[in-house]
Amino acid sequence: MDNKEVIYQTVDLHKSFGELNVLNGIDLDIHKGEVVVILGPSGCGKSTYLRCLNLLENVTSGKIYFEGNDITSKGVNVNKLRSKVGMVFQQFNLFPHMNALKNVMVAQQRVLKRSKEEAKENALRNLDVVGMKGRANYLPSQLSGGQQQRVAIARALAMDPHVILFDEATSALDPELVREVLQVMKELAQSGMTMVVVTHEMQFARDVGDTIVLLNDGKIEEKASAYEFFNNPKSQITKDFLGHYSE
Amino acid sequence: MGYASAIKSALFKLILVLLAIALASGIFGSYASCFVAEALSTQRFSARPNSDNGNDVLGGEKTRINWEFQANESAPITGFTLVFPEGTTFNEEDASVTLMDDSGTTPGENDHLKRVPIQTVYSIDNLDFSAKFLNEVSADAYLEIRVQNVIFPQNGGELMFKASVNLANGDIVEVRDLLQINVKSFSFADKLAKDLSEQDWVKAWNSNDFLRLFFNPPVLVSSFPVVMQGFFTALALVLCAYPCAIPLGLLLALMRMSKLRLIRAIGSIYVNIIRGTPFFLQLYVAFFGLPLAGVQIPSFILGFIMLFLNSGAYLCEIFRAGIQSIPDGQTEASRSLGMSSFQTMFFIIIPQTIRRVIPTMTNEFILLYKDTSLLAAVGVMEVVMYAKTIVASTGSITPYIVAAFFYLIITIPLASLVGVLERKLDVSKAANNQVNVLDENDISVNVKDESDIDGSIAPSIALGQTQVTLQEDKNLQNDGAKNG
Repeated sequence: MDNKEVIYQTVDLHKSFGELNVLNGIDLDIHKGEVVVILGPSGCGKSTYLRCLNLLENVTSGKIYFEGNDITSKGVNVNKLRSKVGMVFQQFNLFPHMNALKNVMVAQQRVLKRSKEEAKENALRNLDVVGMKGRANYLPSQLSGGQQQRVAIARALAMDPHVILFDEATSALDPELVREVLQVMKELAQSGMTMVVVTHEMQFARDVGDTIVLLNDGKIEEKASAYEFFNNPKSQITKDFLGHYSE
Repeated sequence: MGYASAIKSALFKLILVLLAIALASGIFGSYASCFVAEALSTQRFSARPNSDNGNDVLGGEKTRINWEFQANESAPITGFTLVFPEGTTFNEEDASVTLMDDSGTTPGENDHLKRVPIQTVYSIDNLDFSAKFLNEVSADAYLEIRVQNVIFPQNGGELMFKASVNLANGDIVEVRDLLQINVKSFSFADKLAKDLSEQDWVKAWNSNDFLRLFFNPPVLVSSFPVVMQGFFTALALVLCAYPCAIPLGLLLALMRMSKLRLIRAIGSIYVNIIRGTPFFLQLYVAFFGLPLAGVQIPSFILGFIMLFLNSGAYLCEIFRAGIQSIPDGQTEASRSLGMSSFQTMFFIIIPQTIRRVIPTMTNEFILLYKDTSLLAAVGVMEVVMYAKTIVASTGSITPYIVAAFFYLIITIPLASLVGVLERKLDVSKAANNQVNVLDENDISVNVKDESDIDGSIAPSIALGQTQVTLQEDKNLQNDGAKNG
């Protein structure tokens, strides 16, 4: 992995909300085509780290480089960065007043300035990728949670992102709907998409993840390949964490 | 109609006065020798308004004629003949001639306040109403002649009278003054009201004080078209002001949520002042203050401006609450796609807000419509103002009931619409059934062709899903059918 192009480089990243220090110095490189799965107990800063990556949170100190450019410096075009970084949320956050197709089209038209026809064609192609082409003119409220999340993935995909961030994408879903979303994510990973995934799905991390990162108290406790992480964890905290899940 | 006739009658009076002055001056002027000297100059020639709105002289209804003139002859007047227009009925009962003299309260100026009745013998020959004075009248007398119980023809018109006076020296001099009365035709409503008032059941109905006062059928009928004019004014006001207030409210809402403190402060101050003071007071300040400051704005326009400014502040708070009720996730999702804050606001947040606040906005429309009634206090001719005028002339409260009708005709349907909208919003929360406002014509996807897609992922789930979705579709169609 290390010989591939670095998409994201975080250097000594700190983030605090007032008195509360959430991230306490994170150093992590994310390479092109890599699937990085971030694990950790709740409140360890997983989601905050992800949100820092597309500047939904302002970092307190430290640096984030995106494709070699410091995005924590002043005067960065935030919108341009975000158009290259897809994000999938726990609560889907589809736009309820637009049908699936329009949800996927709107940012293409407004941000990438694609023509309506081009945006529509691209949207339908991406809806097809997530298996939602047949529901293109359904409103989010007419779709199940799993279907909504698949549309949200298509919405991110349609921007031709360089990386997609998944913020607990399956946590809000009923158990029987988790599978369809994970399946889409798996196919995406196999297609070579760079992904940063915050999740609690151990099986997914084991099967799909290239690199597993365990965050604890805002620090990287352990970082290893998926095989090493699950079969030969080094840190006691990792062992406890995995033990908790295997019960 | 109110304005037009008022202006018309004012103009008419002005012309009469000017004519009188011109004629009077003509007598002493260089043209005096060219004319047969004028016997008199008419100061006033009018009929008492007999319509329910108190402004118009109607045909077919009893009225009273007033003719005041200043005699100019060297010889005293001994009598007169007034020729009524064709189709007019009248009688000599209660006719009177009065000498109006100086009461002496204002020295050096004849104020005509002292009234001296003059004994008169009347005779009627077809349309000629003749009078012969039994008392002697001085040559420069100021006389008032009244004829009661005059009924003009029903179809009205600008009716011309002719007159002549008899002088003590035996001469009969034609009066050259323009003796004209503008008579309104008897409207359908007035006729209906008149017919109603002669019905036995109406008399029985009106024998009850409460019913007569509040639900007097003839007044109800005759005041309806008059109050309706105010209804159109009020409707026009609110239909102009409200759509303009929506962008103002939106602008103020965005100002109040601005990152810039100054902009936020301006928005807050405006909204707090408008919402914190009574609309009534604001109207007084604008309608009485601006003219004093030398700013002259027609009352309809100023009424529109005040409603617009007032409603903008209330809509601001509605929009602000609406925008803040949209989950942060929407903004985050939009921004994470690279959309600017402006794009997020206009393509994502505001469209959702509008849908949420439509019931509240409809309520604000109802409130604004009712608030037009306050403009009566500053002289805008709207519903209450018209009703008030008729109440003043008839003494019946019924026109106010008619006015209430013109408010309810708007507010009740809108209130029930709010109920429907609120129920719909509730349903969309519960069953997540929302209405799609975007046109779906441009989507050429076969909705049913999805078995292969779902099948590859989760066949068992997909089957259940399809059933659920079809059921939802049915619900939506049912909703559509009901609403359609």
